[in-house]
Amino acid sequence: MTNAHYRSLAGAACVAAMLAAAPAVAQDKTLTISWWGFNGEKLNQFIVQPFQEKCGCTLVFETGNNADRLNKIKIRGGEGVDVAYFTDGFSQIGIEEGLFQPIDRSKVPNLAGLYEMAQAPQGEYGPAYTIGRVGIVYDSAKVNPPITKWADLWREDLKSAVSLPGITTTAGPMVVMIAGEKAGTDPFENADPAFAEIEAIKPNVVKNYNTGSEMINLFSTGEINVSLAQDFALGQLKAAVPTVEWANLEDGAIATLNTVNIPKGSKNVELAHEFINFILSPEVQQATAENGVDAPVVTSVTLTPEKAKQWTYGKEMIDGLKRVDYSKLNAAKSDWIDRWNEIFGM
Amino acid sequence: MLKRYTGWTLALPATLLVALFLVLPVAATIGTTFVDTKGVLAPYTSFFASGFRRTVLWRTLEISLVTTAIALVLGFLTAYVVARAPGRLKSILIIAAVFPLLTGVVVRSFAWLIILGKNGILNNVLVGIGVTDEPFSMLYTQGSVIVAMVYLFTPLMILTLVGVLENIPEDVIQASASLGASPSATFRQVIFPLAVPGLIVGAVLVFTGSFTSYATPQLLGGERQMMMGTFLYQRAMVNFDWVGASTIAAIMVVITVAVVLAMTRIARRLNPMTT
Amino acid sequence: MTTRLSPALIAIAALVYVFLVGPLIIVIGASLSDTTYLTFPPQGLSLRWFENIFEITAFRRTIVTSLQLAFLSTGLALLIGIPAAYALNRYRIQLPSWLSTVFVLPILVPEIVLGFSLLKSVAVGASVPIFVSLLIGHTLLVLPYCVRVISASLASFDFSIEEAAISLGSPPARTFFTIVLPNVRAGVIAAFILAFITSINDVSTSLFLTGPGISTLPIQILAHVEQFFDPTIASVSVLLMFLTVAVMAIVERTLGLTFLAK
Repeated sequence: MTNAHYRSLAGAACVAAMLAAAPAVAQDKTLTISWWGFNGEKLNQFIVQPFQEKCGCTLVFETGNNADRLNKIKIRGGEGVDVAYFTDGFSQIGIEEGLFQPIDRSKVPNLAGLYEMAQAPQGEYGPAYTIGRVGIVYDSAKVNPPITKWADLWREDLKSAVSLPGITTTAGPMVVMIAGEKAGTDPFENADPAFAEIEAIKPNVVKNYNTGSEMINLFSTGEINVSLAQDFALGQLKAAVPTVEWANLEDGAIATLNTVNIPKGSKNVELAHEFINFILSPEVQQATAENGVDAPVVTSVTLTPEKAKQWTYGKEMIDGLKRVDYSKLNAAKSDWIDRWNEIFGM
Repeated sequence: MLKRYTGWTLALPATLLVALFLVLPVAATIGTTFVDTKGVLAPYTSFFASGFRRTVLWRTLEISLVTTAIALVLGFLTAYVVARAPGRLKSILIIAAVFPLLTGVVVRSFAWLIILGKNGILNNVLVGIGVTDEPFSMLYTQGSVIVAMVYLFTPLMILTLVGVLENIPEDVIQASASLGASPSATFRQVIFPLAVPGLIVGAVLVFTGSFTSYATPQLLGGERQMMMGTFLYQRAMVNFDWVGASTIAAIMVVITVAVVLAMTRIARRLNPMTT
Repeated sequence: MTTRLSPALIAIAALVYVFLVGPLIIVIGASLSDTTYLTFPPQGLSLRWFENIFEITAFRRTIVTSLQLAFLSTGLALLIGIPAAYALNRYRIQLPSWLSTVFVLPILVPEIVLGFSLLKSVAVGASVPIFVSLLIGHTLLVLPYCVRVISASLASFDFSIEEAAISLGSPPARTFFTIVLPNVRAGVIAAFILAFITSINDVSTSLFLTGPGISTLPIQILAHVEQFFDPTIASVSVLLMFLTVAVMAIVERTLGLTFLAK
């Protein structure tokens, strides 16, 4: 071990680092997108490359999950990102924290072609570019009779067979809303009856999950037979456990919308609007839907039954979904998290 | 006397790095908990007012201490064997010990699910040899969290101790033996005291590591085994309540510092050479 | 090394290794499974999930970033950590006893608080570029391992050997490299391994310090498992194991840190 060795190693590493850290920007026009970072190859093919050619600019990405990315935008005072993808629960927090700017709808003509639910889900802020459902999935080989309504989660025969989404996930607070419905009260007015119902479901719950993959894991190892889930996980879940079915709930699944917003401190507001308009065009929506990236929100997109099977798709299904009032929910969430912890964490 | 400053000069770059980039920024963050509108210590009193939070704190302390104790014993015995292994085998054993650290937390919890789950390997074995008729799930208990933590932190202990045990001169051990000391007396009076500094470093690293961990307890313990790290993460990333999160962090730092200082004190008593 | 080890001790160590390596068999098995989900025992053997890592641009890019960070931060931490560890032992009398606790601080502070504070004050407050902030964060994170592990090895080192060499006219710096360092080789190797692995695995601090255009592998994996449950994550773990072996081999060759018994 000599000093020279160290120096040469450190020197080489420094050079490598500089090469990497050197901005990979040839043009001066860049647009920074904050999104999850999965499905990268397909998004690159259908969105990134075509848009870069169209605008003559470079797209740069910040990746990560909802909470991490929103926290970063908040710490940076709404700067550093031009377009931000979030699930509606999180974009509502962003709106309330004053992190986003209103969308100039005259610059997004493609909005006219969207389902009404997607055009302005959160007032003057960002539109939704895709839609999903929260419902119940169950292993039809082990659960009999089949599940037909939300209240079935409380059934006696499902003891130690259920997984609920953790309170901190997108679908978590919805459990409280469902419990409130079962109790016949409005949980936003008075949460006590809802939490009494959650106390009652506790014997059925094995573990609460925090990511889609954790839930699939619980299914495939036989720890659970029933779970609340978002529909994007269904395809992978069926691959792992073929007997899993999506329950047709008579009281309706819950809608989840993914939105795109322009943060307050964006330096490229024009280009950001252009990008949002681009991802809402029928061509892009058709391509991403057909290739299993996202369910479409453009009404003119038509899919074969085979392709549509995995998505929340079509007017009839979309009209039948329940909406969540996220501003109410976010106001109640802090208290709900504490109460949820008291029940499951003691 | 120039020599007086040599020590400081050598330690200065590292000290500066910690002071500038850790102490200052973190102090600024934790400072936000003392400017609460409800009063100086309001965030702290509200933390300790909740039975649930006290439970989480107590559980975290318990799990961390048990993990540290088990990892200490396993790590020490294993490191002793590794340190005395012949050359090639030694490097293989050292590398093999660190592999568990390389499995991402998701994959690791999957592996333990396969081992400890209802249809898991362990249950199949137990049912197979007739120990039990009904498979029972060992997951999502305090035990499963501790097993996963010990799995994660024993390698740390082994690595810390191999270097220390190697440096115990062979002739010291032989001298002790030739003076008629039994192997256990040699261990008690020669090897153990010399290994104390290493044991303490290992214990400190493992204790702090398990005290602040959040992903492992969340995946293998779930909400029923919530620990401070998970709780802090929830506060910060879900409630967007950084003052609340900083409060939890401050409490955690105070407790870990106290435990670390206590460990060091015990070590000094056993071997005054401990730094 | 001639002391005989008792069979009981060897048996215990062997059991510990079974405990440590057993779950890895599951991970390796799952990474080779030809299914779109994690399963064990694997159904059909395939390397497609390993190919997947290299086909996905995001993984490819972040592996490079993670490796750069791991090497640089470990190198820096050793560069400033070894002198500090040496000072803590050699000049124990002149240095205050609380100093050693200072070097544990980076792992005492919960990581996300460290990440958050660094983002707030260093990256945003002082407009430090993303990669440099990440490097600062990682160097802090791995410093405790470097200082404390090497310090523990030095604690059992007999400094009178060094004194003797110096009094015989060997310059202090050279004495350090020829006499002190070779004697704490195992400690330096352990510190290097621990630091490298800590950096390459870090999630919580990096969460905040990654930014537009720069991300690390664990962060990418985290985003991946939100949506996907395929064996890619197991393949990444296995790949990291191979990488570690390769890195250790390189370190052994280039730095002459042979593990061969003294």
